Amino acid sequence: MQMISQPTPIAYALKGISPKMGSPNGMDVVMSFSDEVTERKNRQLLGVCDVSCLSRFAIKGPGTAQWLEANKISIPAIANSWKLQKSGALVLRLGNSEFLIEDQPEGKLCAALNVADRKTLTGLYKVERSDVALILSGNQVLSLLSELCTLDLREKALGENALVMTQVAGISATIIRQSLNNEPVYRLWCDGTYGAFMWDTMLEIAVEHGGGAVGFSSHYKL
Amino acid sequence: MSNRIGKKPGEWINREATLRFSYEGKDFTAYEGDTISSALWAAGEKVLGRSFKYHRPRGVLSSANHDVNVMLTDGIDTNMRGDVIAVRDGMKLEAVNTIGGVKADRNRFIDSISPLLPVGFYYKAFHTPRRFFPFWENIIRKAAGLGIVNFNFPRVVKRKSNTHCDVLVIGTGPAGLMAALVAADAGLEVTLADENQHAGGSLTYDRAGASEAASKLSELMGRVKTHQNISLHTASYAAGYYTDHLIPIVGENGITKVRAKAVIVATGVFEQPPVFRYNDLPGVMLGSSAQRLIHRYAVKPFHSGIVVTANNHGYRVALDLLQAGVKVSALIDMRALGEASVLAEDVLGKGVVVHKGCCVYEALPSKGQMGVAGAVICTYDEVANQANPSNSFTLECDGIAMSAGWAPAAALLYQAGTQMRYDGTTQQFVPAKLPSGVFAAGKVNGVFSLEQRLQDGARAANEVLRYLGKNALEVSVDRYVGSSPSHAYPIVPHPKAKNFVDFDEDIQLKDFVNAAQEGFDNIELMKRFTTVGMGPSQGKHSNMNAIRILAKIRGLPVEKIGTTTARPFFHPTPIGHLAGRGFHPHRLTPMHAWHEAAGAEFTEVGAWLRAAYYHKPNLSKQEVIQEEALAVRQSVGIIDGGSLGKFEVQGADAAEFLERFYAGKFASQAVGETRYALMLDESGVVVDDGVVSRLAEDVFYITVSTSNAAAVYREMQRWLQIWKLQIGLINVTGAYGLINVTGPNARVVVGKVTKLSLADSDLPCGGIRETEIAGVAVRLVRVGFVSNLAYEIHVPAGNALHVWNALMTAGESHGIRPFGTDAQRLLRLEMGNHLVGHDTDGLTNPYEIGAEWALGMDKPFFVGQRSLKIIAKRPAKKRLVHFMLEAGFSGEMPFECNLVMKQDEIKGRVTSISFSRSVNRVIGFAYVDPADVNPGAKFHIRTDSGSMVEATVVKAPFVQLERGE
Repeated sequence: MQMISQPTPIAYALKGISPKMGSPNGMDVVMSFSDEVTERKNRQLLGVCDVSCLSRFAIKGPGTAQWLEANKISIPAIANSWKLQKSGALVLRLGNSEFLIEDQPEGKLCAALNVADRKTLTGLYKVERSDVALILSGNQVLSLLSELCTLDLREKALGENALVMTQVAGISATIIRQSLNNEPVYRLWCDGTYGAFMWDTMLEIAVEHGGGAVGFSSHYKL
Repeated sequence: MSNRIGKKPGEWINREATLRFSYEGKDFTAYEGDTISSALWAAGEKVLGRSFKYHRPRGVLSSANHDVNVMLTDGIDTNMRGDVIAVRDGMKLEAVNTIGGVKADRNRFIDSISPLLPVGFYYKAFHTPRRFFPFWENIIRKAAGLGIVNFNFPRVVKRKSNTHCDVLVIGTGPAGLMAALVAADAGLEVTLADENQHAGGSLTYDRAGASEAASKLSELMGRVKTHQNISLHTASYAAGYYTDHLIPIVGENGITKVRAKAVIVATGVFEQPPVFRYNDLPGVMLGSSAQRLIHRYAVKPFHSGIVVTANNHGYRVALDLLQAGVKVSALIDMRALGEASVLAEDVLGKGVVVHKGCCVYEALPSKGQMGVAGAVICTYDEVANQANPSNSFTLECDGIAMSAGWAPAAALLYQAGTQMRYDGTTQQFVPAKLPSGVFAAGKVNGVFSLEQRLQDGARAANEVLRYLGKNALEVSVDRYVGSSPSHAYPIVPHPKAKNFVDFDEDIQLKDFVNAAQEGFDNIELMKRFTTVGMGPSQGKHSNMNAIRILAKIRGLPVEKIGTTTARPFFHPTPIGHLAGRGFHPHRLTPMHAWHEAAGAEFTEVGAWLRAAYYHKPNLSKQEVIQEEALAVRQSVGIIDGGSLGKFEVQGADAAEFLERFYAGKFASQAVGETRYALMLDESGVVVDDGVVSRLAEDVFYITVSTSNAAAVYREMQRWLQIWKLQIGLINVTGAYGLINVTGPNARVVVGKVTKLSLADSDLPCGGIRETEIAGVAVRLVRVGFVSNLAYEIHVPAGNALHVWNALMTAGESHGIRPFGTDAQRLLRLEMGNHLVGHDTDGLTNPYEIGAEWALGMDKPFFVGQRSLKIIAKRPAKKRLVHFMLEAGFSGEMPFECNLVMKQDEIKGRVTSISFSRSVNRVIGFAYVDPADVNPGAKFHIRTDSGSMVEATVVKAPFVQLERGE
């Protein structure tokens, strides 16, 4: 099998610009859009960052929770919540029997799960996904989300480990709020075929609020 | 600024900032905070617009966003409401709806022929002879309407945002402010909204010549502005009530959609004008309008005027006028007993003559009806509602303030489902039963005195607390004592009419009488016939009087007449606000940029953007499509089919699920084999079709049509819930790209990038293999939709572009050509393959398209099977056939949907038709009489022009199939 570098799902939205690119986990994503000062300013005001390159593994079916625990994954107790693993990997419980796991850049959990034996249990269905994954940061982030989502996503309304599956800009998306590098951020995942639309929409609003795009390096040091 | 008076407490203007603007070509100055109307009125300009129908001169009426005769244009925007839009420096304004300017409007002659133009005249007058109707319609359409739409209006994004709170308080009068403070003090998160530029409601203008209201406002606002639990939105109106307390708040820059746990409606009341002849002259205005001019903008409404009233508010107005330096010649009280409160003593004490039991019989116009010269006063019989002009006398004045009563601003309450009742004490509709979570406070609730309104706000807030399960106090509101705030019938008949009820549409008292005589004596019918309440103010100043008039005509109490339906939006709202940012989500395949670079013209297919065809220099669209199709027939073509719906069904019951869901058979399907799948609904109608591939005993991979994918998946989920089978249903539409390589050289091209043997014996048509192409894992399917030698390559989306590029390189020596959806449609037509949704409609059953072979009628069950058993016993009404037109056809080309005729009877329609260069004929699909389905049968197609084109039924495919290896 040949390993090829894949384009990010937002690749079409990046045409015409020449940011600094990189290929973490074999996907071409933007490492930085501008100098460090601007990136930091955007990240802290209203930053939109493409982290689609993070490895993900998804699985569903009645045996899933048992299988994940057998593979030493600490799973969230209830649906629509998430849990951080010691490795930094996120385990999102999308339903009673559906999970999405996302590694940190250097994480190996998803790769391991991909090859783990699934024949030991019945009712395990691996789910192929091609998500666009974003980090939304900054003190104006709720202004952006309030334009795109009808739900109350403020800290007081969105529980500490709560996960919502909702519509963002008319697209089905999954959202959580977490702390990343000691900064509160929102994470968003949606179908990659909507990636360019979602990116353009978010960036348009972010720029109106004085923020902008930030690169992968703004949140992760490789 | 001749009418500007000294500084008023809490005035809305900034005297430090002077602005310059022009109106009708004349220069004016204003203070920052002035509205267009207040600035012009301050400068002594009285004619601010022309009425909609009769083009009568009009001035200030309400100063409360209802002065729809004062609409202006700045050359870019139109129908700008002068009474609420603030002056901006450099504005160049013109009144709308005039020809030759507001003063010399050439259409003013219409007023003199108004007796010829009663309401409804255009319903009756222009229909015969019918041939002249287009002529009249053209004239009426040009005459109707206000401003002219600017189709070059700049696109300015108006944001729509969502916000949430515990309680939304609408209205910032004393009741609303108190409600917000009590709720916020109890820890609730409060959103407070008001349509005015500044909060305070009537406290900002209804002062009765005293300082109590201003002091109270200052005290309340001091607390509101510093309260951390209150978010105040001014210049923002609550536009409508929607389920679950969703209320859009419309501001200048966009819409905020507020979702609240509870709502307090403290929207107050609209002042209603008494009806008398020439009550529309510039200078005749509502009492509250005069007060707004005085206290908000420090503008004297007139110099020497009279007040006509039918409640105690007129006395408050008189006191404000006096304090502003206006000479009040008289106060005309329509009530026989007049006012008994201390207000009357104050007015009398200041030397104002009060005429009880009198009315303004008519206002006297100044030259050209550009203002008021005086008023004819006479006695008024409150019981008979008759004026007695025999004892009339005339008072000279340059303005008249009118205060006769109020109508509740209850649109939101109605929309929320509130049951209202007519309260005889206040002569007003008030809430009788409120929906859960909705509360009313203040004047809209029938509570009028200042102290009571404050109590009512506190009561409503405590009810909200109780509703939300919090500790709350029992707050009682003192009973109202005193005269009714509204008069039961402030209407003065006049034989010469021009006593206006609706200022938007120039509707006079006699129009209602005529409507009732013609049988339009129900309030909804009367509204539609007279158009009362259908103008831009939506009846805010006219509906209540219309109800009173109809009640009088029919001899019924007001509550028996009822009200018209209140629908959102509450105010006319710019289209740009409704459009918002204008989201148009599109799905793109991984090859989108490649297609764009190759000159693709994109088309929307469902949410997807797909390449329809690829532009070529000097070739028309049709020529390009034919070339693309020919490339497939002669060598090899490639198309991006990534938009097709793709699902996986996994699990022990996977085959059983498909057996039930689709009409065909899948339990017997071998691993590595694909089968056609026809989806029906319960009534046996064809809904979709696709291909089911068996990857393992318990794993199926399904493709469905692009535009039906979401609906098919939803239906699969629904049936899964019902059947409770042990399967995992996974939508992988976005996770996989799909590339189709097709044509006689497809095998050679694909063979260059895979190690898999593509020989018919190893991968026959209908086979699927999991293999590698260009070094990456794919699912390779041998299909035969657009040609009988085609390969579908399903590849994880991230690798799709890599595979596409590899195939393009591999096919270069064979002239591989990308083709779009337009050529694809032609190619499948040449193959004789129908498209569900294109060649079928919402009633088509499988027998009509010749799909009996796809039905497993001997299965125990599948969706639609029971209906098909019934349908099969009935005679067919139509059948889909392939047809050709005669060789070298050069007549009028039929189109899709042209009818198939047989002896003047409609027998069917054309569903697909195109010229095919490969076949060198016009070919197509059509529904025909079941008797005409045999090859060689003739039928006729009626073209758009009505000519008949003969077509011949033929067997498909239309093209020669490729021979296998």
